[in-house]
Amino acid sequence: MASFGAQGQLFSPPLTPSLRPRRRLASSTPILKAGSSTPANTIKCDLSSSSSQNPESLTPKKPFFSLAQALAFSAGAAGILLRFSPVTPLVDIGDFSGGGGVGGTGDGGFWSRIFSPAAIAKDEESQEWDSHGLPANIVVQLNKLSGFKKYKISEILFYDRRRGSVVGTEDSFFEMVTIRPGGIYNKAQLQKELENLATCGMFEKVDLEGKTNPDGTVGVTISFLESTWQSADKFRCINVGLMPQTKPIEMDADMTDKEKMEYFRNQEKDYKRRIDKSRPCLLPMPVYREILQMLRDQGKVSARLLQKIRDRVQKWYHDEGYACAQVVNFGNLNTREVVCEVVEGDITQLVIQFQDKLGNVVEGNTQLPVVRRELPKQLRQGHVFNIEAGKQALRNINSLALFSNIEVNPRPDEKNEGGIIVEIKLKELEQKTAEVSSEWSIVPGRGGRPTLASIQPGGTVSFEHRNIKGLNRSILGSVTTSNFLNPQDDLAFKLEYVHPYLDGVYNTRNRTLRASCFNSRKLSPVFTGGPGVDEVPPIWVDRAGIKANITENFTRQSKFTYGLVMEEITTRDESSHISPNGQRVLPSGGISADGPPTTLSGTGIDRMAFAQANITRDNTKFVNGAIVGERNVFQVDQGLGVGSNFPFFNRHQLTLTRFIQLKEVEEGAGKPPPPVLVLHGHYGGCVGDLPSYDAFALGGPYSVRGYNMGELGAARNILEVAAELRIPVRNTHVYAFAEHGNDLGSSKDVKGNPTEVYRRMGYGSSYGVGAKLGLVRAEYAVDHNSGTGAVFFRFGERF
Amino acid sequence: MASQLIREWTGIQQFPPATQTKLIELLGKLKQENVGTLTILVMGKGGVGKSSTVNSIIGERAVAVSAFQSEGPRPVMVSRSRAGFTLNIIDTPGLVEGGYVNDQALEIIKRFLLNKTIDVLLYVDRLDAYRVDNLDRQVVKAITDSFGKEVWRRGVVVLTHAQLSPPDGLNYEDFFSKRSEALMKVVRSGARLRKQDIQDSGIPVVLVENSGRCNKNESDEKILPNGTAWIPNLVKTITDAVSNGSRGILVDKKLIEGPNPNERGKLLIPFILIFQYFFVVKRIQRAIKSDMAKERKASWESREAYRYEP
Repeated sequence: MASFGAQGQLFSPPLTPSLRPRRRLASSTPILKAGSSTPANTIKCDLSSSSSQNPESLTPKKPFFSLAQALAFSAGAAGILLRFSPVTPLVDIGDFSGGGGVGGTGDGGFWSRIFSPAAIAKDEESQEWDSHGLPANIVVQLNKLSGFKKYKISEILFYDRRRGSVVGTEDSFFEMVTIRPGGIYNKAQLQKELENLATCGMFEKVDLEGKTNPDGTVGVTISFLESTWQSADKFRCINVGLMPQTKPIEMDADMTDKEKMEYFRNQEKDYKRRIDKSRPCLLPMPVYREILQMLRDQGKVSARLLQKIRDRVQKWYHDEGYACAQVVNFGNLNTREVVCEVVEGDITQLVIQFQDKLGNVVEGNTQLPVVRRELPKQLRQGHVFNIEAGKQALRNINSLALFSNIEVNPRPDEKNEGGIIVEIKLKELEQKTAEVSSEWSIVPGRGGRPTLASIQPGGTVSFEHRNIKGLNRSILGSVTTSNFLNPQDDLAFKLEYVHPYLDGVYNTRNRTLRASCFNSRKLSPVFTGGPGVDEVPPIWVDRAGIKANITENFTRQSKFTYGLVMEEITTRDESSHISPNGQRVLPSGGISADGPPTTLSGTGIDRMAFAQANITRDNTKFVNGAIVGERNVFQVDQGLGVGSNFPFFNRHQLTLTRFIQLKEVEEGAGKPPPPVLVLHGHYGGCVGDLPSYDAFALGGPYSVRGYNMGELGAARNILEVAAELRIPVRNTHVYAFAEHGNDLGSSKDVKGNPTEVYRRMGYGSSYGVGAKLGLVRAEYAVDHNSGTGAVFFRFGERF
Repeated sequence: MASQLIREWTGIQQFPPATQTKLIELLGKLKQENVGTLTILVMGKGGVGKSSTVNSIIGERAVAVSAFQSEGPRPVMVSRSRAGFTLNIIDTPGLVEGGYVNDQALEIIKRFLLNKTIDVLLYVDRLDAYRVDNLDRQVVKAITDSFGKEVWRRGVVVLTHAQLSPPDGLNYEDFFSKRSEALMKVVRSGARLRKQDIQDSGIPVVLVENSGRCNKNESDEKILPNGTAWIPNLVKTITDAVSNGSRGILVDKKLIEGPNPNERGKLLIPFILIFQYFFVVKRIQRAIKSDMAKERKASWESREAYRYEP
C-alpha cells in the first residue's frame, strides 16, 4: 500500500485488503502460489493546486504555485512497492503525508514492519493476555494449545530442517510470517498462520510448535522444509492480467494411476494453453538474461530462488513506474522452463469524475474531452498503468488551471481480476470570481505637504469568468487606477477573452484565440540622454487598442502566434500634455520643444493597424537545474497602411540564444549542474515608416547590460551580441559576460535622429561578472564607453 | 526672394576706382557666361567676421555688426543689383553656441534658404586663431550634413583678420599656409571628402581684412600684408568657384529634411515579407518539427510498443 499526496491532503487508503480465495494447490503440484491476496494497492496521485482550502476564497490561484506542487509531488514516486506478503498494516499514514507535503514515501514493507506490531498491539493492549498455564520450558504442539487462551508470543524462531539451523530474520522466508514477537494470538490465529504457510507453496513441510516460558509467554518455533524443483534453464514471463484464473480440479484420492496420469497431462495441457493465451510481458531482455544467469548459477530451483526472481522482476516493474505490477504465480515448475506469471496492471477503464467541495460526486461543468485530451494515451484503456503517466496526466490537467484539486487514482477492477480502473477525481474551481483591492495614496499637495484633498483612493477591480461552456473559455478584465475620484488621470484596463481549442476539442491541433482590449503607459527609452547629458525631459508613450491573435502551440515551449493589432499611441510629457516632439535642454539651460518628432503623424497621436506574427522555437530543458538548449524567436510587425499617415512598414526582430552545455554530467536530483556557455544574438530592423516609439533602443538590462535603458541610442536597425559563461557553485551559479550593441549606423535613419540629439554614442560594449542569488542577479558591469563599473541588482533572467 | 527689395548696388561706387574696374570686369565676365544672379551663403562660427565680410563686399553697412554681441539670430539676405546683375549675400548667425553646434540655428538657416540656390559658400574663420579643434570639425560636418558634400565644390574658405604679425618670427606666408593647411584638414574630415575630391578641385582659401585700419596701396585699395588687394581677389575667387563647372546647390525640401528614411525601401516590403515567411518562419517551423521528432521520450511512453519475447 503506497500512497503519496501533497500539501495538506489527508487521505486514508482503503484499508481492507480483499482476500479473495485463489487457487490453492498442494505443495506437490508444480505451481507455486506467489501471492495470496489480490493487489489492494492504492496509488493515489494526489495534488492540490490551491494552498487554501477555504471555499469562500475568491483569490485567483497563482499558476506557479501549482507547478511547484506538481514538482513536489514527483518526489514521492520512488517507493511504491507492492508487498508480497499478505500483511496489511492497519495504519493510517495520512498523518504523515499531511505533515511534510510529500508523504507516504518509502516502501510498504518498511511501513508495515514499523507499524503493524504497534498497531496490533494497540488493538489488543486493553485485553489481558493469558498465561499458558503450563510448566516452563516444555515444547507444546500447536494442537495441544488451548483454544480459549490468548497467548503472548515472546519470540519466533525459524528452523530450516534441510540446513539444520535457525534462519535469521533477514531471510527472505521470514517475511512470509505475519505473527510478530510480542503479539498476542489465540490458537485459531496460529493455526491459520500455519495453514497459510503450508499452502503458500514455498515449503514442502512446515510445523509450528510452542515452547513455554516461565513468565507465561510462549516462544514459537516454525520448522520447515523448503520446496525444491528440478533445475531449469529457460525463463519466461507472461502477463496473465485479465485472464480468468484456472479452476483447480480437486484430485480424487482414489484415482487410479492412469487417471492420475490423465489428470496431470490435462493439467499440463491446460497450462500450455494458458501460456499461449497470455500476452508477453514488458520485461526487457537484460532482466531476462539476469534471471537466466540466476537459474544457471543455482542449479536446482528452490523456493528461495523463486522469491529472488520474483523480487527482481517486481523491482524492475516498480522502478519503471509500473506500480500495479505484481508477480502472482510461478508455473511450469519441474520442467526445464520456469514461467513467471505477472499481473502488470492493465487498465480496464478510465473514469473521470467531478467532486464538489465536500467530496460528493457531481456532474461537472467542464466537458470531458477537455480533460481527456490532456491525458497521455498510456492512461487509456488497454495500456499498463504507469505512475509516470499518472503524474504526466496530473501535470497536464493542472496546467489547465480549472481545478482546485486533482487526484489520479488507480484502483483494482473488481469485475476484471488483475485489471486497474484509473479514476481521475477533479474539484472544479469557482467559475466566476471578482476581486476589489484598494489602496490610499497620499500625494504631496501645495508646499509639499499632504492635505486632506490630496489623499487619493486607488485600487484594482478585476473579474474573471472562466471555463465558459465547460470548454475552458474565459473572460477576464481588470481596471486599475490610483485615483477613483479622477480615474481619467491614469486608468489601466484590460479585457481579455480566451478561446482555446479553436479547431475543436477533439482535434489534436492546439490553437487558442485571444482577443483583448488593453492600454499601457511606458516611459520611452528613445528620449533618454547619453552619458553626461543630465536629465532629458521624459516622454510617456500611452497605447490603447485592441488586438486579436491565434496561438498555435507545437510543444510546451514552441509556438506560433499571429494576429492583428489596432492601437492608438499618444505621446505625453511629464505633465501629461500631448507632445508631438521630444524636448531637449538647451545649452543655455532652457527647454525647447523642437526635439525629434514622437509620432509619425507629427501631432502626438498616431493610430495604426498592423499584423503581428511571432514564432518561437524553444527546445531548452533543465539539466540538474541548468538551462540547456536553443531558443529562436522571430517577430514581425507588418504595417498595413491603415492609420495616421498610412503607416506601411515591416519591423522585424530575430533573437537567437543558445545554451551550450560544456560538460557531460550525470542527471539526477542533487547532482551538480554543468557549466553552460550562453551565446545570444539579437537583430532588429525596420523598413518603411518608423515612428520613434517603435525605434529599437540600445542599452538596458535586456539589451546591453551596464547601461541604462536607451542610453546607447535608438535606431532603425540594431544588432546585439552577448556571451555569458555560467559556472555552477553550490546550489547556484556565478557568471561572466560580455555584450555589445550597435546601431549599424542607422540612428540617423530615425526621424529627428534622437540618438544624436540626446548625444548618445549609438554603440557600446560592456563586460562584467555576477552571481545568482535566488531570484535576484547581482552583477558588476563595466560600461566600456566610459570605462566605469557599477553594481546592479536585477530580477529574473537576462536570456 | 521677391519680398526682398532689390536695391541698386550703390556701395560699389565707394570702392576705389581700381577695385571698381576689377569688380565690374569680373561681373561682366560672369554675365557673359549667362550668370545673372549670384547667391553667396556666408557661414561660420560666431564672431569670426561674417557680417563684416558681407559689408566689405557690398561696400556699405548693409548688416548690423556688433563687436561684442552676436548678430541677430536670423539669417539676413542682402541683395544688390548693378547693370542687370544681381548679387545676393546671405549672412547667417554663428553656428556655435555653448560649445556645441546650434542645431536650432542651423534649422532656421535651412528653412530660410528653402527654394534658393546657393552659388557659393563662404566658410569664414579667423586667420589669427592658432588652433583648430573638434568644434570646427563639427561645424563643417553640420554644414555638410545640411547641404550635402557638393556644397564644398562651390566652397571658399575665408580667413578674416588677415592683417596680423605672425608670432615667433614666423614668415607671414608660412603662417598662412600652415593655418590654411590645418583648417583644410578639418574641412576635409568634417565634410568627409576624400583626398581625391580635394585634389580635383581644391577649396580655395582667401584672406580678408575687414578692419578700417587695413593697409591700403597707392590706388587706395585695401591690401593684405602680402600686398594683394583682397576685395577683387575675393570676388575673383568667388567667380572662379562659380565657373569651375560645378552646379549650384538648390535648397529644396528634400535637401533640408534629408532623404526620408521612412520612404526608403518601402516598395520592397512585400518582397521582404515573402522572404521572411519562406526563409525564416518556415525554417523555424521545420526546426520545431525536428525538435518534436527528436524529443527523447520517457521510457514509459515508448515501452509498450515492443515487448520482448524470449
